[in-house]
Amino acid sequence: MSDRKEITLTINGNQVKGKEGDTILEVCRANNIYVPTLCFLEGLSTVGACRLCVVEIDGERRINPSCTYPAREGLVIRTHTPNLEKYRRLILELMFTERNHFCFFCAASGDCELQAQAYRYQMDHARYPYTFPSLPTDTLNDFLVIDHNRCILCGRCVRVCGEVVGNHTLDFSRRGWRTLIVADLNQSLGQSSCISCGACLQACPTGAIFSKVSAYRGRTSEGKVIRSMCSLCGIGCETDVLVKDNNVVRIDGANLTGLKGQLCLMGRFQQVYSETPRVTTPLIRNKKGNLEPASWEDASKLVSEKIRDYKASRGVGSIGGFASSLCPSETLDAFAKFMRNTVGTSYIDTLDGSSYRAMAQGISVFSKNGKGLEIESPLEAILDADCVLVVSSNPLESHPVAGCYILRAKTRKKASIIVVDSRPNTFGFRADVWLRPNGGSEEALLGALEGLIAKKAKDTEKSMRFVSLAKAVEATGLDKDAIRKAAAMLSTAKNAVVVYGEGILDKKDPKLVARVLDLAKLANHDGLKVISLKPRGNSRGAWELGIANQNGMAKAKPKMVYVLMGDDKFEMGDWATPVDQAEFLVVQASYRSPLTDCADVVLPSPIWAERKGKYVSLDGKVGHSQKLLEPPSGIKDDVEIIAKLAMGI
Amino acid sequence: MAKVKLATSWLDACAGCEMSLLDVDEFIIDLAQAVEFTRSPITDIKEFPEVDVGLITGAIGMNEHEEEAKELRAKCKILIVLGDCACFGGICAMRNAFPKEEVLRRAYIECESVKDGKIPSSPEIPVLLEKALPVNAVVKVDCFVPGCPPRAGDIKYALSELLQGRIPVLPSEMMRFD
Repeated sequence: MSDRKEITLTINGNQVKGKEGDTILEVCRANNIYVPTLCFLEGLSTVGACRLCVVEIDGERRINPSCTYPAREGLVIRTHTPNLEKYRRLILELMFTERNHFCFFCAASGDCELQAQAYRYQMDHARYPYTFPSLPTDTLNDFLVIDHNRCILCGRCVRVCGEVVGNHTLDFSRRGWRTLIVADLNQSLGQSSCISCGACLQACPTGAIFSKVSAYRGRTSEGKVIRSMCSLCGIGCETDVLVKDNNVVRIDGANLTGLKGQLCLMGRFQQVYSETPRVTTPLIRNKKGNLEPASWEDASKLVSEKIRDYKASRGVGSIGGFASSLCPSETLDAFAKFMRNTVGTSYIDTLDGSSYRAMAQGISVFSKNGKGLEIESPLEAILDADCVLVVSSNPLESHPVAGCYILRAKTRKKASIIVVDSRPNTFGFRADVWLRPNGGSEEALLGALEGLIAKKAKDTEKSMRFVSLAKAVEATGLDKDAIRKAAAMLSTAKNAVVVYGEGILDKKDPKLVARVLDLAKLANHDGLKVISLKPRGNSRGAWELGIANQNGMAKAKPKMVYVLMGDDKFEMGDWATPVDQAEFLVVQASYRSPLTDCADVVLPSPIWAERKGKYVSLDGKVGHSQKLLEPPSGIKDDVEIIAKLAMGI
Repeated sequence: MAKVKLATSWLDACAGCEMSLLDVDEFIIDLAQAVEFTRSPITDIKEFPEVDVGLITGAIGMNEHEEEAKELRAKCKILIVLGDCACFGGICAMRNAFPKEEVLRRAYIECESVKDGKIPSSPEIPVLLEKALPVNAVVKVDCFVPGCPPRAGDIKYALSELLQGRIPVLPSEMMRFD
């Protein structure tokens, strides 16, 4: 891409440099010349809606919005004449009198761009009559409230939802001063295609869109904003977290309109606070069979004793351990070293270990040359795709930002989307071709697609055995034209990317994984572009530490099991059986759950906000989350707990 | 030096601005020395005399408020208003989203703490206006101090400026709407 030509303009009497193709506003911003704005948001298209950024340009009859006016060599511009300031003040008065901007009870007061501009322009009254319209408030969404009384129709929410999130739920309805922001065809936001990612919330300059989890819990000026990272799903969105009085008040994306910054309902809202009861002290099951509080000394001593006893009486193979892949790498590393070196057992696994083994073996079957997770592409590869094949995954549910990348490719690059899933999968509604093969027939379908692509490309190399279309139709129950259509899309695509997820991994079938990879390779001349959406935020980190490498544990049936849950939520999984058959169960967790309720010893763990952590994203990038809060007293860091247990052995 | 003659009035108001005014603490002594209080909500003077400064809090919610604002405007040289209600309509204006009849019905009949309610309608009591308005919707205002309530420091600043013969506009750092 060629460098853009440098141009020189005169702004406020000074010569400044810009780049051809910039707007006047961009040139001003690049030269640290402040121009007031409201409808402008870096990274979004500009619309010139608010008119606050108006400037005087020599040769132009009227004042013009600088956010849309293209900069040219030799322009002479003034940004702050008395006239311009007068008009900006008028615009603010018009905005305030148009709707009901009651600051005194608004959750955004103190953090409102409209209010800040009014203060800046010393707007202590309005000269226009107030209209006092009667406008609705939409509260049905679980997290987001839209109060139309506070809306200035800047459109930032519409643009971020369309351009960044790619969902295009929000848009304008009606005209003039009756214009209202609507979701879909005038549904409530809580009953629309909204995915509650909150990008609109963060984009909104006023209190028109505010969040139920953060409202009234503190202004930015009352707390501290700490740059951190979300560690829930493995995408690794960078966050700016507002912390006040040892509470997380609000989580914003550090890079809302860029990459890995728009967040989702899990990272933005669901982890702000939890009402699930915490484990606050160590617990030991007493003789009567009830869990009762115990000291750290007693609890860790008991665990260490039990480890020594089992080792001595039944051998080291009678002890096994599971760790959640939500734990940071420091914790997982300490866990692995403790179990392998101190305890001496090789029976360790992650809670999502079976997913890893399916994937690792599948990659091995496919590549035959010792490659591993490094064959996968970075998440950003989706943005350049002209065709995305989603296999057995609903990205908008499990990894929403990845889903949004797919929608963004569709919006910006006109990428076609194919969804293949035998399960009910609402992402199919976004697809150009949505194939729902019978359960268990995915391999046949993928094999048929391969066959059709290879035939079209007159490809004679047979890296895997292809499946005939007729056989696929029989196995999958699908229409042959639908299969042909999907294959044609993959054939004509110049940059096809394949995304697969839990629907494939849960099948624990390495051949199926290998088939997905083979199809990805066939579909892209430049080499395979594949991304697997892994179950947890640090799945890749855990797997790279080798914790999930072996699977002897189901057969070995260890008698003493140590489960390092951290702040993971309890879900039944493959580890349920070994845990079920354990005689002595130690659970290290943040939250009370059915698992802690049946443990013999429970050790309290800090939650994500109460510890630092290193995480490896699903596409292999290392990130760090920060310690934001002090844990409740009595709760120790996971690494400290493990060290304490090790000391006793 | 002659004392500055002051008359104050509260209209559709909660007296929060007056509470904030009292928060100027010891400055009230300077005020008392520089200012002659005439008619106010707490002094028993029936008519507005000619004054230098008129001070109003609260919005124009009833016809009586409009009359009183006009009266005070006619009798003072400089009119200052305190608070969001006087400057913008404020809390009083929150009822403007609803028709007047609905507001009266809700307050006097439907309200949970009302039994056998009746909307008052005697010629002796003021009439609720269709919409509550800022003071500058009915009279010319010279100085505005927004806030809900304005902080004591803002009020002190505005009154000090007035006492020194200047009509202030609050600087951005002092401006607030909450």
